[in-house]
This record gives sequence, C-alpha cells and structure tokens, in this order.
Amino acid sequence: MSMQAINMTINGEKIQALVEPRTHLGDFLRDNQRLTGTHLGCEHGVCGACTVLIEGVPSRACIAYAVACDGQQVRTIEGFEEDEVMAQLRTAFSRFHALQCGFCTPGMLISARDVVLRCPTADAHEVRVQMSGNLCRCTGYQGIINAIVSVIESRRAANADRVEPVATAARAPLPSFQAVANQASAAASVAPATASPTAAAATPSDTANKKPGTRIEDAFEVDHPIDVVWEAFADMPKVAACLPGAEITEHTPTSIKGKISTKFGPMRAAFVGSAALERNAATHAGSIRGAGTDSLSNSRARGDITYALSDAGNGRTRVAVAIEYSLQGPLAQFSRGGLVKEFVKKMVADFAANLNARLGAGSSASGAPGEAVAAPAGAAPMSPMDAAGVFWRWMVSTIKSWF
Amino acid sequence: MKAAAFEYQKPTELSAVVSALRASNGEAKLFGGGQSLGPMLNLRLARPKKILDVSTLPALKVIEDLGTAWRIGGGVTHAMLEDRVLVGCEPLAQVARGIAYRAIRNRGTVGGSLAHADPAADWPLTMPALGATIVIAGVSGERRVAAESFMTAAFGTALAEDEIIAAVEVPKISADARWGYWKFCRKTGEFPEASAAVLLDPQRKVARVWIGALNGAPQSLNALAVDIAQRGFLAISDLSVSQALEPVLGKIDAAQRRLHQTAVRRAVQLATA
Repeated sequence: MSMQAINMTINGEKIQALVEPRTHLGDFLRDNQRLTGTHLGCEHGVCGACTVLIEGVPSRACIAYAVACDGQQVRTIEGFEEDEVMAQLRTAFSRFHALQCGFCTPGMLISARDVVLRCPTADAHEVRVQMSGNLCRCTGYQGIINAIVSVIESRRAANADRVEPVATAARAPLPSFQAVANQASAAASVAPATASPTAAAATPSDTANKKPGTRIEDAFEVDHPIDVVWEAFADMPKVAACLPGAEITEHTPTSIKGKISTKFGPMRAAFVGSAALERNAATHAGSIRGAGTDSLSNSRARGDITYALSDAGNGRTRVAVAIEYSLQGPLAQFSRGGLVKEFVKKMVADFAANLNARLGAGSSASGAPGEAVAAPAGAAPMSPMDAAGVFWRWMVSTIKSWF
Repeated sequence: MKAAAFEYQKPTELSAVVSALRASNGEAKLFGGGQSLGPMLNLRLARPKKILDVSTLPALKVIEDLGTAWRIGGGVTHAMLEDRVLVGCEPLAQVARGIAYRAIRNRGTVGGSLAHADPAADWPLTMPALGATIVIAGVSGERRVAAESFMTAAFGTALAEDEIIAAVEVPKISADARWGYWKFCRKTGEFPEASAAVLLDPQRKVARVWIGALNGAPQSLNALAVDIAQRGFLAISDLSVSQALEPVLGKIDAAQRRLHQTAVRRAVQLATA
C-alpha cells in the first residue's frame, strides 16, 4: 500500500495528509479529518447523503477519491456556519419538518443550497426534479420540498427580482423535405478500428424475459454428422475450451467443477462453482445445471444449459441450445437486466463459434463468430468463416492443440 | 463498498496520458469524472491496477467554436454543457440537463460517458443523432470516427486500449432545425428504459431518428426518418413505428416494446410539434 501526500483546503483551512489512492473523500473527511457531518449511505453515488462541495459545486464524496482532490477546495456541512442561504435553509428545514432521523440532511442541505442559488425561479416541481438525487427514507419529501420552496420564495420577495415572462414566438411550421439517404456524418477521416468479436456478437435479436431466470434460445448448424457432434459434447474439458475464460478443475461423467472468468467493459468477474451433467443418448439431448459465486463482487450466478442435437441432412447437425440463468448480488444490482443478457449472449456467441470451428477444424469450417447466435432457430446455413484476426488465430491454436 | 487498492497517476499532458496507457498494457483505466467508474470501483466490479486521472486535464476542458461545428473536449462536464447553451448545438444543453443529478453532472464528462458506452446513457444516443465525430488521441496522433460507428456493443467502443477521447465535434444545426428527445425513467435521473432522439434539419436535408436503451449500441431508424422528413408526424403510426423498430428490437416482451415505441413517437412529436 503506497501512501500519497495531498494538500487540500477543507472549509477554508489548509490541510496536508497521506492517503491511500483508494480512500474516497467521504472516508477521508470522516476518518482522517473527523468531519463526521458528511454521511455515507450507499457508497456508490446513488443516495446523495455524502454530497459536499468540491471546487464550489455539489459532488458525491463517496465516488470522489481524496487523492484526486489534491490541491482542491472542499466544503462540508460543517463549513456553512456563516452562510446566509444555509441559515435560511436550516430554519426552513426545522419549520417545515424536513427531517426526521437526519441521516440524509447534510446532503439535502448542500444540494438544496445549490438549487436555491442556481435556480432562483424554481417552483415546487422543479425543486423536486433538482433534488431527485438525494434520497430520504423518513419524510416522504413533502417537508423538504416545502422548506426549499419557502426559501426560494422569501429570497425572491426580498430581492424583488420579478421574473418577466419570456415571450415565446410560435414556431414556423416544419417544411416537408427530402432527407439525404444514408447520412453518414462524413467527418470520419480514418476508418474506425476493425470491429472486435464483441462487436460482431452484438445482435439486436433477443428472447423473452422470464422470471426469475432469463432464458436465451439459439441454434446453429455444424458440418458434421450427429454422432461426431454428440461425441464432442461428451468431452467436457473440450466443451469448456470452447468457452473463453472457462477452466475445469474436476470432472466426472456426471459433474464438473471449475471457474469462468469474464470481462465486460470495466467489470471483471470469476465465477467458481460446480455443475451437474445429464445426457440422454436416445434423444441426443443433455443438460448442464450449475451455480457459482464470484468472490470478488460477492455475486452469485445460476445457469441451466440444455442442448438437443438433430440431423439437419447432408451430414450436418443442428444444435439447439437453451440457456436459463439468474444473477444475484452486486453484479446484478449494478448492471441492468438487458446488459447481463447481452453479456450472456456474447458468451453463447463465442461458444457457438468456437465449437463450430473446433468440430469443423478442416477446410469446411463454417460460421462467423457472432453469426452463430445472430441466426435464429431454423435459419439458413451460416456464411463461410471470414473473420480474420485475433479471434480466428486463437481458435486455430486451440484446435491444433487437440488434434 | 471500499475500492480495492489501485495505483494512482494524474498526467498533466494528453501525450503523457496516451504513453501511460500504452505502457500499462491494458491494466490502467482512465478516470474522467468517475461517476460510473467510481461506483464500479467501490463495488469492486472493476479492479484496475492503475487509475489515470484525467478529470482536470486542461487540454480536455476546451469548448471551441469551429465555425460549422463545436469542438467539445472529452473532459467537458455535463454541467458545463447544461449551463452554456452553444449556438447551433442547443440540443446539447437540453440533453445535459436531463442526465442523472446535478452532483453527477458536475463531475461526469462527455468523453467518459462515450468511452464507458452504457447503452442507456444519453451521449451515446445524442452524438450519432447529431452526426457528431469522435476525435480519438493515441500514441501516433489523432484519428476521427463517426459517432454512429463509435459504439460497437454494450460497453464496447472503437477505442483501443491506449487511446482516449480527445474531443467530440458536433456539427451546428440550422436555425430552423428541430430536435426531439424523450426518455422513460422510472425515477428522475435514472438510466432510462427507453429513449429516442430525433433531428430534422430541412436546410441541411438531414433527418435522423435514433433509439437508445437497447441491450447493445443505439440504433438508427433511417427509413422512418426519411419518411418523417417528407410527411412530418403523419409518418408516425403504431404500424410504421413498430415496423421500423422490428429489426432493431427483435423478440422482446410487449411491455418493453411499447416503451420503445412510445419513446420514438414522443421524440418525433417533440420535433414536429
């Protein structure tokens, strides 16, 4: 742990301190500076309890890092002793019963002061919109809104700055016109980087949302007879090798233990868990039912994969895959449902492309990555593999290691 | 809710940022305003080895009038655009005003939002609708990418590991151009569940309809836009909107479909009224 020296002006007073880069401003103010008026609620920028002024403007102290405030001005709720607007707000909060437990109040007051100064003509609705980033679990907000509106109104009366209504001229009717087709913004001087496999995997098609799990169904065809494909599905380590980031630690005919590491934007997770395997040779169908935990984010995932093979004629096999999954914990809390779905779809796309490539390791390999899932059930055979680059090289090297 | 340990560096030049990015081999993460990365760090969903803080980099804070366009530095905050109406780019102030909450807007940046590429965020929808260009700085200089092809997937962009958004160039719209923007949020300031942006600029012969809050990148409804340019709001019907959305939405449940349809309809209504 490396400490960094910082200088800061807090409530007008210059301070020096040593901080770890990961220490957020809220913790620094409370634990290091003993300014406990700044309250910490959610610690991820949602509740507004920790709102302070950084360089004069309201900011969340929980997602600003103390080290990043080096050389800056910070003002906390303790620093408004002499402030006229804050005095008015304090009186109004008391009069209108704008607090009960008081936990949200420091953040409420700092945000409210900003609204009073920045929006001198705001009405009750505008105040509600402006204050929507500060949560209160006691009052139901009515008292808070009344208090802020009363301060705005009394200041307006005192300043007697009547606001002249702005005359809005009626707009001329919109003329009909022939828009230029394909209006690329013409400004791009250099072609964008080659689309990544991630990009190719992003398909607009989707399946219905089911509670509690989310279900994704897909199908793709492989240029190999059903028995070869069925055999391949029995070999779990090789199946796992088709899923980038998957690693099998233990393996019996009916169960596997392992890990799936994933990266999605700035997020990383590694789910460690186990799964039960079932196979029915008579119907050429099977399932993998598993659950795992990501110890980094303390998130839990559960997933059921069922697959069914059928003869597609001409020595080809159709693979129908259904994945039903659910995610709990911070990872699920942070990312909205659709994003997780997109993420799982990307994994299915990678898996389908890899499996197809693995089985079709000869010259007849088919199926561009991404297209495998882009094609809904019953779609036409996939176009020949044309995706050069990293993805393809990765697959070739993986496949070569098998045969 | 405490971030895992990371190294911290605050370069003072753009060139130092890109060379630090290159040297880090993908282990460093740029910190613009930190309003998305901060929560991810605290939840430990993101654990970069190093944070490169560009939140106060002067070169990224510039707003410049280029004559036919505005060049907006990647580090310009939403609040800066909210408070300063740029003539010819008035939609920017309107969109900025609706992003999250003031405390977030004071720190969150245009470049950070575009690079983070949340499918439901406002700038990844607004910039292609306005026909903007993303100016990307890398070790070998600048390159330019049309906003409509910049975002490639949820959290996926055309940015390489050692590149940063230097600026966004937003072409000015004509004085009689119309802009419509509508999003559905369950709570004010939350990420929307459906969003749409409409630009109708008769003088420049430009008509664009884009929808956001999808599972992947925002999408263009080009044919619908051309139709609206000719027929105005008459081009909008339950049938025409659902037909335009069909290839973009695919199979989703009826409630979500309705939200997206409503977003398009209301954005068009705002632009054509």
